[in-house]
Amino acid sequence: MSNWKQFSVSGGIIVLLILVPLIFTRTDVLTWFYLTLLYIALSQSWNILGGYTGQINLGHAAFFGAGALAARYIWLHFGLPLPLAILGGGLAATIFAMIIGFPAFRLRGIYFIIGTLVLAEILRLVFYTILPEADVMPMKLLGAYSLIPRYYLSLLIAVLTVAAVYWISRSRLGLGLMSLREDEDAAEASGVDTQRYKLLAFAISTFLAGLTGGIYAYYSAAFRAGGLFEPVWTFDAVIIVFVGGVGTIVGPIVGSVFFVLLKQILSLYLPGGIHVAVFGALFIMVVLFLPGGLIELMTRFRKRTSGGSI
Amino acid sequence: MILEVKNLLKAFGGLVAIRDLDLAVNKGEIVGLIGPNGSGKTTLFNLISGVLKPDKGEIKFDGRDITGLKPHKICQSGIARTFQLTKPFAQMTALQNVMIGRMYGSEPVLSRRQAEEECEKILEFIGLGEKRLSVAASFGLVDRKKVEIARSLATKPKLLLLDETMAGLNPAEMEDALQLVKAIGDSGITLIVVEHVMKVILDISSRLIVLNYGEKIAEGTPQEVVHDKNVIEAYLGE
Repeated sequence: MSNWKQFSVSGGIIVLLILVPLIFTRTDVLTWFYLTLLYIALSQSWNILGGYTGQINLGHAAFFGAGALAARYIWLHFGLPLPLAILGGGLAATIFAMIIGFPAFRLRGIYFIIGTLVLAEILRLVFYTILPEADVMPMKLLGAYSLIPRYYLSLLIAVLTVAAVYWISRSRLGLGLMSLREDEDAAEASGVDTQRYKLLAFAISTFLAGLTGGIYAYYSAAFRAGGLFEPVWTFDAVIIVFVGGVGTIVGPIVGSVFFVLLKQILSLYLPGGIHVAVFGALFIMVVLFLPGGLIELMTRFRKRTSGGSI
Repeated sequence: MILEVKNLLKAFGGLVAIRDLDLAVNKGEIVGLIGPNGSGKTTLFNLISGVLKPDKGEIKFDGRDITGLKPHKICQSGIARTFQLTKPFAQMTALQNVMIGRMYGSEPVLSRRQAEEECEKILEFIGLGEKRLSVAASFGLVDRKKVEIARSLATKPKLLLLDETMAGLNPAEMEDALQLVKAIGDSGITLIVVEHVMKVILDISSRLIVLNYGEKIAEGTPQEVVHDKNVIEAYLGE
C-alpha cells in the first residue's frame, strides 16, 4: 500500500471513530467501542517490547495497574487536573519498569520474564492487602458520569500508541530493537547497545501502558486496587497480540476487535468463566499453527484471491 | 600497527583458553589464524571483539586501549566480525540487516535515503543486490554468510575478523568467497581470518599465526609456518 493510501485509510477510520458517539447512543455499544480502543492501546504497548524487541513481559498488569492507581490518586484523592493525573500514571509505570529493568536486563534469558511476572503478583497482593476497600467515585462525579469523554480519551490513547508503533517500525530505533530481538550477539557486534535499547523499549512500552491505566482509572466507577494488577490484564494483551499478529502494527488492532467481540459473545452464551478457557485454547492453536496471527491469515487469503499480486 | 595484544590471558575455570598471548597486526595485512580444534582461535576473536573479557593483559587498537569495552563500543571503534555459526537477523530483509550495521556501527548518517544507497552498494559488491529485499530467513548458507559479511562491512571497519567463512562451502563457492575476501583486503581493510581449509589460508594470508592450547607456537609467512616443526607436531603428533 502506498503511503498516501495508508494515511487516507487511517485518517478515514479515525474520523469515523470520532463520529461514533454521535451515531450510537446506546451505552453498551459505546462501551464496546471504548473497550476495544483500550485493548488496542494495552496490547500495542505490549507489542513494542514483546513483538518488536523480543522481550517477553509477563507482568504488563503491573504497569497498567501502577498507572491506573497513580492516576486515580492524583486525580480523585489529591484533586489535581485529569491530564496531569494520567501523565502521572504513565510516569509511575515507567519508574516501576526501570526498577525491575535495570537488574533484570543485566542477565539474559528468562530473568526478565520471571522478574516482570513476580512484580505484578507482588503488587497485586500488596494492594489487595493495604487497600482492601473498593475505590468508588464520589456521588457528585457519578451523578454527572458520561461515557463520551472516556470514549474520546480511549480513542486518543489508541491513536497515540498505534502512531508510536508506526513511528518506531520506520525509525533507526525500530531497526535497533528488531536486531536485538533477532540475535543479541549479532546486534552488539553491529554496534547496537542492547542493554540501553531494551531499557528504552521497556520505558516506552510501560509509559503507554501506564497512560492506558490512567484512562481506565478515569472510566471505572469502582474498583479494588488489587484487581488492577490481576494477571488477566497481562494475558489479555498477550493473547490479542499473538492472535492478531505479533510484531506488526495492524495485528493488535485486528486482535483487539476480534477479542472484545468474541469475549462479549462467549460470555453471553457460555456459563461464567468458560470463555477464558476458549481464549487459552485459541492462543495455543495460533502459536502452533498460525505464528503470524490473523494478519498472516488475511494476507494469505488476499494473495489467493488476487493471484499473488501483493 | 593497528592491533596489539599483550600478555593476554583467559581461563574458563581450570581450562586456560588463551595463555600469555602476544600478537601484533599491521595495517593492511591479511593475517591467517590457524590451529587445531580448541586451540583458542574463536576465544581470541571473542576477546578482541569484546564478547569475553580477558582475565589479564591488554588489547590496543589503533593506538587506543580497548580492553574490556563492550562489543558495541568495539564495533563502533572500527573492529567488525562475523560468526562461525552465522547470525543474520532472520526476520529482516538483507537490506535491513546491512542498514543496522550502517546506522549503529558507523558514524551518524545524513539521511536514511543516503544510508540505504550506501548499503545497496555494499550488497551489490557482495553479490546480494538482487536479493536485497528478501528476508534473511529464506537464504541458504552462502547468502547467510554474505549478509553477515555485508553487515560487518557496513560498520566501516578498519579491522575485520572472519571466523571460518569457508566452512561448509563447496569448491566453487569457496573460490568465490576467496575472491571476495581478497577484494575486501584490497579495499584497505585489515583482516584476521580463522580458517580450517589450508589451501585457502595459505593462498590469502600474508602472514600466519598458529595457536595451540591457547599459546602461540609459530608465526611467519605461510611457507615458513607449514615447515615449522612445532606446527607439524601440533597437527599430526610427534
